[in-house]
Amino acid sequence: MAEEVLRTILLIEDEPSDAELLLRGFDKAKVLNPIVHLSNGDEALRYLAGRGEFYDRIKFPLPALILLDLKLPGITGIQLLQWMHVQDEIKRIPLVVLTADDRQETVNAAYDLGANSYLVKPGKADEIARMVNLLQSYWIALNQPPQLVMAADLAN
Amino acid sequence: MTVFKAQRRAGIIELSIDDEGEQGVAQSSVLLVEDDPADYRFVQRAFERFKDEIKLFRVTNGDDAVAYIAGEGPYENRGVHPFPLVILLDLKLPRRSGFEVLQWLRSQRDSIHRLPVVVLSGSDEPKDVNRAYDYGANSYLCKPNGFQQLERLADQFEAYWMKLNEFPNLQS
Repeated sequence: MAEEVLRTILLIEDEPSDAELLLRGFDKAKVLNPIVHLSNGDEALRYLAGRGEFYDRIKFPLPALILLDLKLPGITGIQLLQWMHVQDEIKRIPLVVLTADDRQETVNAAYDLGANSYLVKPGKADEIARMVNLLQSYWIALNQPPQLVMAADLAN
Repeated sequence: MTVFKAQRRAGIIELSIDDEGEQGVAQSSVLLVEDDPADYRFVQRAFERFKDEIKLFRVTNGDDAVAYIAGEGPYENRGVHPFPLVILLDLKLPRRSGFEVLQWLRSQRDSIHRLPVVVLSGSDEPKDVNRAYDYGANSYLCKPNGFQQLERLADQFEAYWMKLNEFPNLQS
């Protein structure tokens, strides 16, 4: 039953213009999954941990896919990865790093902390739209997600 | 620009210029770990259209997968058995299972532990899927039933991993 619910995509991105382009890309790609956009590392940690204002997992379900920028206010993307890496369930959630940083040491660090994939943000709007299309068709449509405790299970 | 980037990566075995001489094409090697001969032919045919982009190498059991990745025994010569850019890994394998290959790979001290692994399995059992992610699989794909679906899977795999993804450095 849980499979029929369209699962949430969590976008963690502080740059408003980048977030705008990505969200527009999801719109254009006709992605129907609900997208939660957070712009701060601390907020993202609270969401994933289900703490504070995000305590209600029915309203704020664990996402099916996390898109993570690395340069964030509050804790950084790398620090968030470090935290996720030691959480039993949350570490299974497919996570794609989406950043402007293409330095090899950053790429390596992200994979070492369990990132599933690493993408460098393209500059142009049409390239972003193409990337978002692929993100949707690969990670949402094709990839088999892990089984997490779903809101539907919690409700029972 | 893409070509220079590609050259830095592991798993790129050659650079060729197409007939028009317009675009450099980097061919990447993918290691397919698959014991079933029918499934192998199926995957090989589905990837045929990407023969300029992807060179598929195959081993048929978990022990050989480990030997290939480590470059040991019959796989010592990297000219013939290049280090792959990504592994397509079946789970149910003779000798070492796919899970054991993943555990071995992720526990390596040197940088090869980062090698991206895409599971390609006949099982969609949540316990297998969760276990694969817990052992460090980057992605989990279910073997489709029909050939057309497998061709679509190959399309997506090529477009995502070969064209979009940034790979870790495995030489440092």
